[in-house]
Amino acid sequence: MAKRVPRVGIGGPVGSGKTMLIEQVVPALFSMGYKAGIISNDVVSKEDADRMRHNLATEKGMLAEDLVVGLATGGCPHTAVREDPSMNIAEVEEMESRHPELDLIIIESGGDNITTTFSPALADYFIYIVDVAGGDKYPRKRGLGIETCDLLVINKIDLAAHVGADLKVMERDAREVRGKNPFAFVNCRTGGGIDRVAGHIVRDVLFELPPKAMVG
Amino acid sequence: MSTEFLSMLQLADSFFPAGTYTMSNGLEALAKRKKADVKELQELISTHLGRQVGPADCCALGNAYECAKKSNLGGILRADWALYAVKLVEEVRNASSRSGANLVRCVATFSDDKILSDYNNAVSEKRTSGMYPAALAVACAALRIPKREAGTMFLYSFCVGMAGAALRLGAIDHVAAQKMLHALRPTIAKIVEENVNKPLDRLWQFAPGIDVVQMEHERLDSKMFIT
Repeated sequence: MAKRVPRVGIGGPVGSGKTMLIEQVVPALFSMGYKAGIISNDVVSKEDADRMRHNLATEKGMLAEDLVVGLATGGCPHTAVREDPSMNIAEVEEMESRHPELDLIIIESGGDNITTTFSPALADYFIYIVDVAGGDKYPRKRGLGIETCDLLVINKIDLAAHVGADLKVMERDAREVRGKNPFAFVNCRTGGGIDRVAGHIVRDVLFELPPKAMVG
Repeated sequence: MSTEFLSMLQLADSFFPAGTYTMSNGLEALAKRKKADVKELQELISTHLGRQVGPADCCALGNAYECAKKSNLGGILRADWALYAVKLVEEVRNASSRSGANLVRCVATFSDDKILSDYNNAVSEKRTSGMYPAALAVACAALRIPKREAGTMFLYSFCVGMAGAALRLGAIDHVAAQKMLHALRPTIAKIVEENVNKPLDRLWQFAPGIDVVQMEHERLDSKMFIT
């Protein structure tokens, strides 16, 4: 039986930059030879999936168009990735059987609140993303997503000065809340800090194994 | 209290992970056309039950159940495919198939019933469609839930799903949803009686208005539900 393709779940509040993070991370991994498929749980539209398909598949040719799939969640984004992830799992398994050459599959949760977590049956690794524009209170407020994710990503650091957010406070609170577990500051608009996120995925999810395409 | 009764509660619970909370069965497309009141919503659900879910899904469920009791895998697959064949709308067909696969796969992790295991293998190997009513019938037979109760549970869960979708679409409030479910009880009971013992060659469905809105849903750009 073939090994299952590793799965990375990405959750976070509406507008925190989940889709843009994927749009930055997938090319970073692609440049190292890793191929990813994407399942995007949109709450009320397929806009995110359409945008990623256009940007990553149609325009850049980094993946086949059928490797970006949009999934409706009945208005229940956290149910779809935690309490009843069966529809997502079915989608992941169909993608895996169509494309065994994939190195990983990324599952984007619909925008939700800070209690979001992924079912371990759906995701092997969980990234939670918040943004500076939501205020520097975010790490301190805790919540299951921020506390228990494998990697906390703090996005839109370029906006800190404009919204009165102190990155040093966020860093201090993130360390306090997460202990030794990692976090990364990023700017998904410019790509700043994305290499760190990609590095975590290569090390902690792919165990620094070479891309399948290179192994043959 | 029998453990069979508890098994019935488990499978009927919306907490059971079969993905049915993602379905509005066309209601989302209809809501974009017009805001239905509670009375219209109840009529719509009754039409679903009387002209699709009852004569097609419940009939297939009854036949698959009888075959499961006789360890007749071929008969289960015939009922499964017959139901698949009459479901005209691709989105609805695929959603039912995925939910059925989810259901039977989950039950197979805590039941060692042989026919359930054989059916689960047939679904995962794509030798059968895994339509939700057929999968539910096999699971109920494995857990010794009586056939009539299996049919009732299926129709009731369908109504709960529709009421939940209506609530999330803002068409109905939480109390009105419960009143509607209460009012639907005689309809559910009657339609189960009419269909759960019918032979497979009398399976049918005819609700073109519902087919049309379900097809409209397939073409919506912005949607919250899978169907």
